Amino acid sequence: MFSLEYVKTIGGGRKIRPYDIAFSADGKYYVLNHATGFGAGRFTVCNFDEDIIVELPDNAGDGTFAQPVAIAFDRDERMFVLDEAKHRVTILDKNAEFLGEWGANGSGDGELDRPSALRFDRNDDCYVADQMNHRVQKFTKDGEYLLQWGSFGDGEGQFNMPWGLNLDSHDCVYVADWRNDRIQKFTPDGEFLAAFGESGRGDGQFDRPSCVVVDDEGYVYVGDWGNERVQVLDPDGGFVAKLHGQATLSVWASRFIDSNPDEKRTREASNLYPDLPHELSSPFHVSSQTEPHFFGITSLHVDDQDRLYVVDSRRQRFQIYQKRR
Amino acid sequence: MPQTNGSNGSHGDRKLVVVQQSGGNDYLNSVVPYTNGHYYDFRALTHHDPEDVLKIDDTVGFGPTMGPIKELWDQGKVAVINGVGYPNPDRSHFRSMDIWHTAEPEAISQEGWLGRAIREMDPKGENVLTAVNFGVGLPRALGCDGVPVASVGNLATYGLFPDMEDEWLREYALEAFGKMYGAAAGKEAVMGFLGQTGTDALKGADILSTAPEQYSSTIEYGSNGIAKSLKDAAQVMFADFGTRIFYATHGSYDNHAGLKTAHPQLWTELGPAVTDFMDDLEEHGEADDTAILIFSEFGRRVRDNGNGADHGSGGVAFLVGNKVKGGMYGEYPSLAEKDHLDGDLHFNNDFRGIYTSIAEDWLGLDAAPIVKGRFESFDLFEE
Amino acid sequence: MSDIGLIAHLMRRAGFGASRGEVEAYAAQGYEATVEWLLHPGDPGDFGEDLAKRRAIGFDEGGAAFELWMVRMIHSNNPLEEKMALFLHGLFPVIYMSQGRALLNQLDSFRRHAFGSFRDLLVALSSDPAMLLFLNNNDNHADAMNENYGRELVELFSMGVGNYTERDVKECARAFTGWTLGNADYMAVRAGKNSFDPYGSIAWHYEYRPDDHDTGVKTFLGETGDFDGEDICDIIARQPASARFICTRLFQFFAADTVDAGGRRTIDEMVETYYSSGYEIRSVLRTLFNSDYFKSEQARYARVKGPVELVINAVRMTGASPNPAAGSAGANGATGPMGQAVYRPPSVEGWHEGKEWIESGALMERVNFVAKLFRDPSKQGVRDIIDRIASSNGGVYSPEETVDLCLDLIGPVRASEETRAHLVEFASVGGDVDLRGDDRGKSEVRVGEILALITATPEYQFA
Repeated sequence: MFSLEYVKTIGGGRKIRPYDIAFSADGKYYVLNHATGFGAGRFTVCNFDEDIIVELPDNAGDGTFAQPVAIAFDRDERMFVLDEAKHRVTILDKNAEFLGEWGANGSGDGELDRPSALRFDRNDDCYVADQMNHRVQKFTKDGEYLLQWGSFGDGEGQFNMPWGLNLDSHDCVYVADWRNDRIQKFTPDGEFLAAFGESGRGDGQFDRPSCVVVDDEGYVYVGDWGNERVQVLDPDGGFVAKLHGQATLSVWASRFIDSNPDEKRTREASNLYPDLPHELSSPFHVSSQTEPHFFGITSLHVDDQDRLYVVDSRRQRFQIYQKRR
Repeated sequence: MPQTNGSNGSHGDRKLVVVQQSGGNDYLNSVVPYTNGHYYDFRALTHHDPEDVLKIDDTVGFGPTMGPIKELWDQGKVAVINGVGYPNPDRSHFRSMDIWHTAEPEAISQEGWLGRAIREMDPKGENVLTAVNFGVGLPRALGCDGVPVASVGNLATYGLFPDMEDEWLREYALEAFGKMYGAAAGKEAVMGFLGQTGTDALKGADILSTAPEQYSSTIEYGSNGIAKSLKDAAQVMFADFGTRIFYATHGSYDNHAGLKTAHPQLWTELGPAVTDFMDDLEEHGEADDTAILIFSEFGRRVRDNGNGADHGSGGVAFLVGNKVKGGMYGEYPSLAEKDHLDGDLHFNNDFRGIYTSIAEDWLGLDAAPIVKGRFESFDLFEE
Repeated sequence: MSDIGLIAHLMRRAGFGASRGEVEAYAAQGYEATVEWLLHPGDPGDFGEDLAKRRAIGFDEGGAAFELWMVRMIHSNNPLEEKMALFLHGLFPVIYMSQGRALLNQLDSFRRHAFGSFRDLLVALSSDPAMLLFLNNNDNHADAMNENYGRELVELFSMGVGNYTERDVKECARAFTGWTLGNADYMAVRAGKNSFDPYGSIAWHYEYRPDDHDTGVKTFLGETGDFDGEDICDIIARQPASARFICTRLFQFFAADTVDAGGRRTIDEMVETYYSSGYEIRSVLRTLFNSDYFKSEQARYARVKGPVELVINAVRMTGASPNPAAGSAGANGATGPMGQAVYRPPSVEGWHEGKEWIESGALMERVNFVAKLFRDPSKQGVRDIIDRIASSNGGVYSPEETVDLCLDLIGPVRASEETRAHLVEFASVGGDVDLRGDDRGKSEVRVGEILALITATPEYQFA
């Protein structure tokens, strides 16, 4: 029996503003913050126990990042950061020292228009979701253009503002085809294999999926962004499970509550899972009023211990779940 | 209480510059109780180390980046007013700021305390430039029916049609504007009022636009926002338009995080801006006639939240000037937990006492109608 | 075909203005049909909310919430629905409430009830969490009354002073005990300091607490019973003072700042409709818009444009925000310095309109914002005006002709003799306007400057 058990929440208390995360080889979390300031760097490096190891500066080479949306390590543990507004990839070392960059705005081969996701395959080549060009492009990690597929539309292999993408253990590519409310699966060369889902709120239906990740066994986890939930599909796209989120107070969040006695007192007397009036029954409204629920899922990860990480961007945290079989 | 002689008092040359620290300046890390053990307990992760504190005496010192303020303090020009606040503190930025602006903690009011002061100084609204705000929009502190106030976002481009590049054509447009509103001013009812208002607006802009060209100074201000605002204020002041109240805003001081990084950084902007401004005043012979009030809507929580502190109440205000009697005013509130007000330093000085002192002892006005009551004033100014 | 000037007047009042092309289309369908269309909002259109939400994490928080509303005001297919939301926000203002989502939810509630019965609107208002929190009804308990909401409901939101006693206020407040929001104490503490911690803001919802409701017998406005808040709204809606209140406020917002004898007669007709329709606001508005008074020359330009109206009108008319994803072209930052920051009205009485909008700093802000948009010939709306001028007659125009065409196409604006003379004087600086051939570009710039100066006239400050 497949199940996902809640483990813990990391974030809150204004420590991080995560949009995406990457795992270093030594097991640390490199959190890409969508907002900086008040002491939070562009990247917060922390661990499972919520120790902050270091805050890294907002170094995009020629200045700061504008709208960074994805972070990934290559095999040499260089950080690749994708900036949607600057249409480019910045390469940093693990101290956020600038190493290089590539990418330019446009619609030609290898050019980008508001790219929104970046992930590496087993050969250390990378795939980029090229949002406003409605396509996926593949590059070497030095930015050399390799191939592309996709165009605007809702047919097989077409996209409408794709957002997230990820690869499975065979390097098949899964794309969150955002405004088409589906996940598409391709061979590494972009040949269409399958499409999962349709518009809606039911099981196996999606509302503007933002991200996707696939585990070793081929289970597909979808960030069903508009429905404010995670859905799990089997390798053939069949519905397996869904999660709505059940965050608890992190170490950082507890510290905040402890320093504000008035909030502590009244929070303890509150029901954080309230019943809502009918006009506020949409998933969005429920999440806006139910703090433990996912709210604005922007990325998903699985690690080698079968843990699922859900980045809950509007709630400044990520939630961790343990897969059990 | 010193004698005052009502409106249009004997202190007609005196000016007040108000610097608003928006967002809630942290009291504990600005005026640091560096020998108090509670400070290190409650600010385990966000305290300033004693060796970094710019010591005032055996109990408190300024934050590490407040060197310029400390310099002025050493010259006896800084009054630190401790534990300021008001009864039943409100921890909302907007509400608490409105309370400071209107001096009315109990009721929602539209009338600012400075607006009332301006009305006393210029009851007929004869000078459209009695008060000038340096920023966008009108702070409620300056708002008052029938009191004209100019709000200057950027002095260099202030006026009508600022984006008309062709100066020659702009002159024609301004001339036409003046004639159209002049004609309307002779009409009845709302149209007449609008015509008069347009005529006033044009007049104010015309006068203000001459300030930068009249200005010359050896002082080089910084390039940050508050430095620019104070430089604009200096230009307007030295141009002698009869301006008495100058208002500028700095921030955000809303340090839920960054008490050790962002907060000290704010003081590295504000401190030099104030000393540069003071030097400029000295150079232009205005230093003895100018006082600067620095305030914020509230202080922050005693206990930090990890790397910042949240909205609190009891805070600190500063008064700076040649004629200000430097020193500490009021007690520093107790840091012991039993004395906290819901996690905050318990205010022990009503801010309206500061306003009272400024109105009566500095501007020569009867304070009661301005601060809406009688409050114990501080003896903040030299005779 | 209805009169262009009349339709343009209707659209300025019942909407945020319309381009000449839109006005012509409405005129072709006729005045009364246009009124009916306005009164029956359909699909408001797609404001790209999914995109706004994708592009900015805090898309509905703080100022971004108001930006969303501004975008909706500019692009909605239902102009009167948005105008009513603005009216109701000013009529039932909340201040210091910084939970953006709760305020957007409140606007949704206003839209749902804007054309229905006034009684239902009052019930919705009384169960709006932002309003309950703002007027402390979360502190109104069966065993410890807080009469703030109860008082404002009868004083400011319906009948007005002189139509009830202090006892009525207390009985009204008793009936609203138990009307609160979910997790009231926690939400009140958080709202009190605009708290976004520990995990971002939590929106608010209404909750009824039967255990905290005073079930005793109450006597309100002479009627006695075990009243709940809904019963109170029933009683209030029946009162002649309430009818006069809502009809007068609608009249002042949509027809004229000041009520003269003709206005009083129109309000009488609206009051009649109020009762005959079962307090239906749609019917009352229909009576107003179809009244002789509203359609008269006298009513045109009889209101000072409020800052939100002025700014949204300018953005719409110039096409400065060609689609929802383009944002509001600065509308959201612009209205505050003009004296109307939404959700920051000066007091619980809302904004004092009319003459109160006029202040020298605010006037400069108004003129500068609007003139900047209209002097840019690359804006679609400005282009449309220029194209219409170019195709009207030959392509070469004297300064007088140019000014008259501009005054017509931008409004029509009725300029005084003096104003027109000074506009012509300004237009004469460059001689004739030639929209043919090589010089067209230069002349387009000049038309833009003339349009800009028209928006700076005293007359243009009125709607």
